[in-house]
Amino acid sequence: MTFVRNDSKVFHFCRSKCHRNFKMKRNPRKVAWTKAYRRAHGKDLTEDSTFEFERRRNRPEKYNRVTVQKSVQAMKKVLDIRKARADRHWDNRMAGKKKSDTAEARKVLENEIHLVKAPPAQLAEDPEGYMEKLKVKVAAPQSMESMEE
Amino acid sequence: MPVYNFKKITVVPPAKDFIDIVLSKTQRKTPTVVHRGYAITRIRQFYMRKVKYTQTNWHEKLSTILEEFPRVDDVHPFYADLLNVLYDKDHYKLALGQLNMAKGLIDKVTKDYVRMMKYADSLYRCKTLKRAAMGRMCTIMKKQQASLAYLEQVRQHLARLPTIDPNTRTILVCGYPNVGKSSFMNKVTRADVEVQPYAFTTKSLFVGHTDYKYLRWQVIDTPGILDRPLEERNTIEMQSITALAHLRAVVLYIVDISEQCGFTIKQQSELFHSIKPLFANKPLMVVCNKTDIRKIEELSQEDQDRIQEMREVVSGGDEMEDGESSSMLTMSTLTEEGVSAVKTAACDKLLVSRVEMKLRSKGTAETLNRIHVAMPTPRDDAARPAVIPAGIEETRAAVAAGNRRQTEKDLQEQFGGAGVYSADFRKNYLLEDESWKYDIMPEILDGHNIMDFVDPDIEAKLAELEREEEELQAAAEAAGEVEMDDDDDDELDEEEKELVEKIRTRKAKIVANHREKKTVANNAPFVPRKFDRERKSNVSSMKEQLSSLGMDPSAAVERARSKPASRQERARSASRGRKRGREEEEGNEVEEMDGGRAMRSKSRGSQSRVREPTPSEGLSTVAQKAKAIKLSDKAQRSRNKMAKAGEGDRVIHTKMPKHLFSGKRGIGKTDRR
Repeated sequence: MTFVRNDSKVFHFCRSKCHRNFKMKRNPRKVAWTKAYRRAHGKDLTEDSTFEFERRRNRPEKYNRVTVQKSVQAMKKVLDIRKARADRHWDNRMAGKKKSDTAEARKVLENEIHLVKAPPAQLAEDPEGYMEKLKVKVAAPQSMESMEE
Repeated sequence: MPVYNFKKITVVPPAKDFIDIVLSKTQRKTPTVVHRGYAITRIRQFYMRKVKYTQTNWHEKLSTILEEFPRVDDVHPFYADLLNVLYDKDHYKLALGQLNMAKGLIDKVTKDYVRMMKYADSLYRCKTLKRAAMGRMCTIMKKQQASLAYLEQVRQHLARLPTIDPNTRTILVCGYPNVGKSSFMNKVTRADVEVQPYAFTTKSLFVGHTDYKYLRWQVIDTPGILDRPLEERNTIEMQSITALAHLRAVVLYIVDISEQCGFTIKQQSELFHSIKPLFANKPLMVVCNKTDIRKIEELSQEDQDRIQEMREVVSGGDEMEDGESSSMLTMSTLTEEGVSAVKTAACDKLLVSRVEMKLRSKGTAETLNRIHVAMPTPRDDAARPAVIPAGIEETRAAVAAGNRRQTEKDLQEQFGGAGVYSADFRKNYLLEDESWKYDIMPEILDGHNIMDFVDPDIEAKLAELEREEEELQAAAEAAGEVEMDDDDDDELDEEEKELVEKIRTRKAKIVANHREKKTVANNAPFVPRKFDRERKSNVSSMKEQLSSLGMDPSAAVERARSKPASRQERARSASRGRKRGREEEEGNEVEEMDGGRAMRSKSRGSQSRVREPTPSEGLSTVAQKAKAIKLSDKAQRSRNKMAKAGEGDRVIHTKMPKHLFSGKRGIGKTDRR
């Protein structure tokens, strides 16, 4: 689907979903499922030397068997490298995830345990731990001198 | 050069209609309402406008007539004479003159009356003056009745005249009546002239067109001419004479040698001699027609002499330089023998004479003086032929020997012809190596366009990339190891994970329940508890929930079971005088756990006795008070919403639902058919 606006700007849409979103005046850089969003927010590998190898050009090239053969062989290698780099990029992106997930789970265990275990049951199960939780930190009592000042 | 087109002259209406046209136009296009009370200037202006407007109209209409009719003095003499012959020049001029005069008179009348109107002092005077002016104008025009009628006749006739261009190449056919002039015309041109076996079939001039030497030729067919003095000739003949006299054309004098037309060759030759002056300064040809009946050789010696005589007259000026062929021709319009020869000869003759005429005219000498054709004198006797490259010579020799280069077309013919043979374009490819021409190259590999990757120095670039990648890989692995070390044993154990999962599920369920309740709450019908089939807050569910939270439910269950289930029972037990303990009150609260839907009056209803009213309450008896309480209870009870949004919702969705009002109704069917 191609749309040509009256200022002669040409828009190509990969599917009707994209076209409909365009008509709703959505900014693709702000819609999470688009390639533009993923690129803009560092989700995908964007700046990389492997992209330099794939160049779209609008001029005819003369066929040369040797060059084409070499290029086809090189192509596979380039694409493999690109894949490896994309994977590494993902790994980097996900580096802290496990830690944060665990922290969150601990918080849930701490604060919302009453949803599955009633306080009396908690007390019965682990009296010390429960009592520990009930303790409230209180600021140290201020001395009379400091109050006077 | 003026083009004579008389077909577009506007219609001349008869006097009566003319008057109607002009007056009704005045009526339509000028204001019609005037009152006595208006200022006198306004009234005068109103009537003056009417008079002036009428005058302008007359003036315009008459002027167009005068302009559009051809003026005898201005048109080509041929047309002038034709007008004279057909319509009588004097009469024509007089009619136009009359109209011109009428125009002047009308102008004058208007001038007078407008001047008089300036002094009119009332609406009535103005009106009378206007009436008088109009009346006089109409009278003037009524007097032109005859002229107008005559001009209309002339106009109609003029429109039907053939469009003759007096200056173009023209072939003029003339002769006695019924000698075959129109037949010749029909053969030569596409005109369809009536041909009949009697004299004067053609009563006016006819025009046809023919082509010769890629030029347009006008062929004019004239009515037959009789041999008599000019004064005695009738209108029909006079048209021929006019054409002969004024058109610069080649004249074909047609002689009927079979004498079937009713005129002898002698008579025909006499006519020829009598109208001879008309042929002066014109190319002339005598054509013997109807040779299919009688050949020229079969004629009597006398007649042959006569024809010979005519021929001599024709070529007299030129002293027979081009022999007997051109100016003396024979043809048969029936068998078409010699017709085209006559046409060709006539056209040639006219062309020659027109060229001669042009050369004799004034302008040519000047032009000729200015033309100079340079002819260089040769320097020496050396031959200087054109240089032809050796390659070209070779090719020419090869072609001459029959060794032509094979073209695609030859190949096509060789391999099955058009539609079967498909041209091989690859053989013309210009590549580094000839053997690459027929390579098949894949376009796409793993969803990538191969051509996007093709690059002459790809190897070097790839080597560079691989080196870079190795470095990056090493760096990443090093970083990965550090991270591994970093990873402490902070992870949750299996039990904890299970617990987290449980909490999350429970939380999601609570949220979902709440949401459901929220959406439905607005429009849910109020269902009394005893009909709530899916009642959730019963003893068993309470037991289940408490135990799932890790508590011992036995005490709570015991307490709930020990109190009566419903209000009536409770009331009954109360009347039986059973003492209500604190446990029962608490049990009641457990029962009311679900969503606060229970009615407040319930708790009040559990009171067994109404107390004696105090004076401040405004009620005198216990019965009165009981009734008041009952009424207040009733008012407090939340109504069954019956699927309505509230009191204000009075929507009637379908007044007569189809399924309840169509078809027969069987036993027990009130809500469906």
